[in-house]
Amino acid sequence: MFRPLPFRYALVLLFLMGACKRTDPKDTAFYYWKTTFDLSAKQKTLLRKTNTKAIYIRYFDVKWNDLHKRSYPEAVVRFDQGACPLPVIPVIYITNKTFEKMPKNGIDSLAFNCVKLVTQLSSQQKFRPVKLQVDCDWTLKTRDAYFTFLAAIKKRSKCTLEATIRLHQIKYAHLTGVPPVDRGVLMFYNMGKLNANLKQTNSIYNGEDAGHYLRHLKAYPLSLDVALPIFSWAIQIRNGRMIQVYQKLDRMNLENLNFEKLAVTENAFRAKKSFYLLGIYIKQNDIFKVEETNAQSLEKAASQLAKNLPEDSKRTIIYYELANIDTTIFRAETIRQVSACF
Amino acid sequence: MIRQFLEQKPFARFLLVFSICTICLTGVIWACSDSGETEYSVFAPEYFVNEKYSPFFYASDVVYYSVGYAESSNTQFNSIVFVEWDTYFKQSVPSTNLKYLLFISGVNSIDSVDHYVNGLSQSIPKGFTDTARSSLTGKKAKQFFDYLKLARECESYAVNDDWSSWDTVRRHYANADLEPRLLTAFHSAKDRFIKERLWFQLVRYYFFSGDADNSDLVVKIFDQYKNNFPHDLMWYRSLGYVAGHYYAAKDFARANYLYSLCYEFSNNLKIPSFWSFHPQEEADWEQTLKLARTKAEQVTLWQMLGAQQDAGRAIRAIAQIDPSSEKLDLLLSRLINSRESVTQPSDYYGNPDTVLQSDDLDKKVVEELAQKGNTARPYFWNLAAGYLNYLDSNYTAAAEFYAKAKREFPGNDTLVVAQSKVLDILLQVGTLKKIDGSVESRLIAPLNWLADLVAQRSKVENLRFANAVEDCTARLSRLYLEQGDPVKAVCFKSNTGSEVYQNSVRTDALIALLKKTDPTPFEKVMLRYYPYSLNDLYYHQALRLVYLQQPNAALHFLEKRSAKDTPLYGNPFNSRLIDCHDCDHAEPQKQKFTPLKFVQTLANIQAEIGRGKQVYRNAFLAANAFYNITYYGNARLFYEFDIATGSSYGYVDPDSLDHQYYSMSAALKYYKLALKYATGEEQKARCTLMLAKCAQNEIFNLADYDEVRPAILMDIAVDNAALKRYYGYFDELKVKYSQSAYYKDIIKECGYFRMYLKQDKPLERGKKNEMH
Repeated sequence: MFRPLPFRYALVLLFLMGACKRTDPKDTAFYYWKTTFDLSAKQKTLLRKTNTKAIYIRYFDVKWNDLHKRSYPEAVVRFDQGACPLPVIPVIYITNKTFEKMPKNGIDSLAFNCVKLVTQLSSQQKFRPVKLQVDCDWTLKTRDAYFTFLAAIKKRSKCTLEATIRLHQIKYAHLTGVPPVDRGVLMFYNMGKLNANLKQTNSIYNGEDAGHYLRHLKAYPLSLDVALPIFSWAIQIRNGRMIQVYQKLDRMNLENLNFEKLAVTENAFRAKKSFYLLGIYIKQNDIFKVEETNAQSLEKAASQLAKNLPEDSKRTIIYYELANIDTTIFRAETIRQVSACF
Repeated sequence: MIRQFLEQKPFARFLLVFSICTICLTGVIWACSDSGETEYSVFAPEYFVNEKYSPFFYASDVVYYSVGYAESSNTQFNSIVFVEWDTYFKQSVPSTNLKYLLFISGVNSIDSVDHYVNGLSQSIPKGFTDTARSSLTGKKAKQFFDYLKLARECESYAVNDDWSSWDTVRRHYANADLEPRLLTAFHSAKDRFIKERLWFQLVRYYFFSGDADNSDLVVKIFDQYKNNFPHDLMWYRSLGYVAGHYYAAKDFARANYLYSLCYEFSNNLKIPSFWSFHPQEEADWEQTLKLARTKAEQVTLWQMLGAQQDAGRAIRAIAQIDPSSEKLDLLLSRLINSRESVTQPSDYYGNPDTVLQSDDLDKKVVEELAQKGNTARPYFWNLAAGYLNYLDSNYTAAAEFYAKAKREFPGNDTLVVAQSKVLDILLQVGTLKKIDGSVESRLIAPLNWLADLVAQRSKVENLRFANAVEDCTARLSRLYLEQGDPVKAVCFKSNTGSEVYQNSVRTDALIALLKKTDPTPFEKVMLRYYPYSLNDLYYHQALRLVYLQQPNAALHFLEKRSAKDTPLYGNPFNSRLIDCHDCDHAEPQKQKFTPLKFVQTLANIQAEIGRGKQVYRNAFLAANAFYNITYYGNARLFYEFDIATGSSYGYVDPDSLDHQYYSMSAALKYYKLALKYATGEEQKARCTLMLAKCAQNEIFNLADYDEVRPAILMDIAVDNAALKRYYGYFDELKVKYSQSAYYKDIIKECGYFRMYLKQDKPLERGKKNEMH
């Protein structure tokens, strides 16, 4: 005889299956943000099981050098393991300071250098990039320089060009402008300011902060891909001040005898002694505040965002990021379901 | 971008440190000694710590103190290399030639020189300036040329500029064919000087060989011959590569121990070794400590940990091993300076410090060592313990430690005495509860001493007094305010002056104080801290009266001044449909208005209005004048001076939008008067448009209409009353004056008005702009 599931199980199932399943699932992709490109077996399996279409590899950062008064590439990616098994979309991260400092007549050379380096790195891996992504948190002050740079990159690279878009740039698009690119990638994370306040809501994703921006999405003139957070980090706080943030530290490193869990929140740990851990120096009484994302927050973010995005059959869902992923938290099934929300 | 805040993997950089023929720190900005430390610090490490540690003095936002920018990694050892070879040749080779060969020439030009000096060729490279051959002939020179050619080849992998280049993306590895040539040269070399250098080249070669199977050869070749050579710089540079090899092999314990040996060896190896030193886990750190063969080596290790991470912990450890070690001094200075840096100095308005208590453990160990007196410089520990207590507002304990320190001062060290004096003054002022005549007389000498330093009448090298001046004057000012003496308060801190400057009686009292012919000694020193002159105060009084619409009364003050007036840039009695300050300033002017001339004219205009003469014309001119001396007008220069704008010390918050320099009330009053007396549609339309401009500025003046934060414009709820007034004037223009020629000009020039006509009210959409 058929027995209906108890209500609470039904709810859980409904949640897991995702209320947002669509018939035409969007492409799944991952960011890879580490300097050494080196996939583990688990990561490869995840890529296969999620039917990942591409990897967005951070190729290098561009930073302004005050001493030489020009910009240089930093932390250039190394492909230690040989070529990537999937199509690669190079990502260039450029600091906003670069555009604040650089003279106008340096913009084209910068674009030239970036394209050249991207081409060199790609040809070493025996491919020609067809798509390129640029990541920069531009401001009103740097908008013109940045947009000029993007146009120059587009012209020189002949690639499909994408630029990352932060939530505030969506809301205040009339002020910050819309970058001259083929597509945007909405970064649906880093919503709050990192700080030492232990009671502060999660700065990576929280639905309330996100909610302030969502109604502006439909009016945004650029087609948008989506970047979603699958990372956690620990903020190191000394004497009430934030001193560093580590993606390599997680709850596992902190839930042990070296730390005392603070009563004020589930997420804060005080060091009971001074010691080195994973190359980090921890001083007695340092506090670590953990900010996490998990399957549940990821699903919540996805369904919240999906409801507010205009339909776009070409949309790619990019997860940030693969190099530090915890595959016990983010399983292939979760990723597939989340991508299906869009 | 938060991602960038995440720690970047340091591995590559650590490896590189010893991978380059000269040692480098790429792209790191090193602080100059005159960096921002004086912003919070009053304690000079220079007086207590051996100079060789100066790069590791605490600097708040940079890696190394006092070094300035890093010399390129590829040139850092050049001066030493030159001296070594110059000695080798017994100073017989002209230094330009030697430098050319060592640092500039390529393999081919070395060959050319070699051929030239040996008479095989007549052509010489351009850089080889001294053409005498004799100094570079003979056996020694031959060995030199042979070595130099090999060494230059090795630079292809060892000299590395990748970090700052767009051109190359590959790491350089050593060519395999170099190995046998280096080995042959090494084994056949007889001269120990040359042999040691070839040994160094071999160690470095294996480090760069990029061949995992071969990498142990770094250690092997080093160990095999390490006893054949003196423990000189070359030896330790070779050791650095061995350390780098262990680091790459993840033997952090050994790597860090070897780095500490290099750090200890010489000053020029300190920075690169310190940079490379990086324990990973507590276990490898403990292992490193075990590798230390002597107590001195242990102390060095703790000093490196302390200077890098945790001065307090390292002090505790070293105190157990050797409390008299000079290595403690650096750590103590870092402990003090980093403790200072997290104290919020008294803020701009003289509010109390944010009291942040010291790390108990750190303070305790300093106090203990101060009390024990078994360190090399007990007075340093006592001053430090006193100062840490001062920072925690434990003034009694601070005084006791200071007193003890003074008994231990070295005989004639004027710098330490000056340092102590700074701390004493801070404590003296910090403990004050009330200021009376006797306190004032006690303050005369220390305040004069500080004022002399500020005025550079006296100079004490490296003394960090600026923050002490800030703290003391802020506190004195606050105390005077609390005890109801705002005039004295403003003398010490002119930004506490609103109670004086907004009150003409008090400003007059301040003027009287400045004019006093027989000031008391305390008044004399107090006025050394006051930045403004009588002229400034007269001008300030005049301004106040002009904005109160009393230009006639203002003249009295303006005429007292001895200073020469700067003319205003544009004609302050003119107005335009659309504001354009640049146009006003560029317009030819028959008469230039100085502030005095301007106020005289305004006073005359006002008098004419009073007499009922040409009221429309005069009221319109007065309205333009009052408009132009606001933030929105063409004559901002009129109020732009220190006291008024707070540009350096003034009291006005220029962002407070309801302030007189933003207020439209005087302009509105006179434009309304002009409108009342206007005849004909043209005049009336003109007045109405001007009123609309004023009304628009009032919208901009609303507290939340903050132009410095344009990102929130969308969120602004524009005050309805203000908006209503603004559109009221537009309605009036449309209904009453649409037939006038001026109305057509408005449509032509004013974008907002055109939008309004299309019923698309621009300001309601949150756009801020001047009317256009």
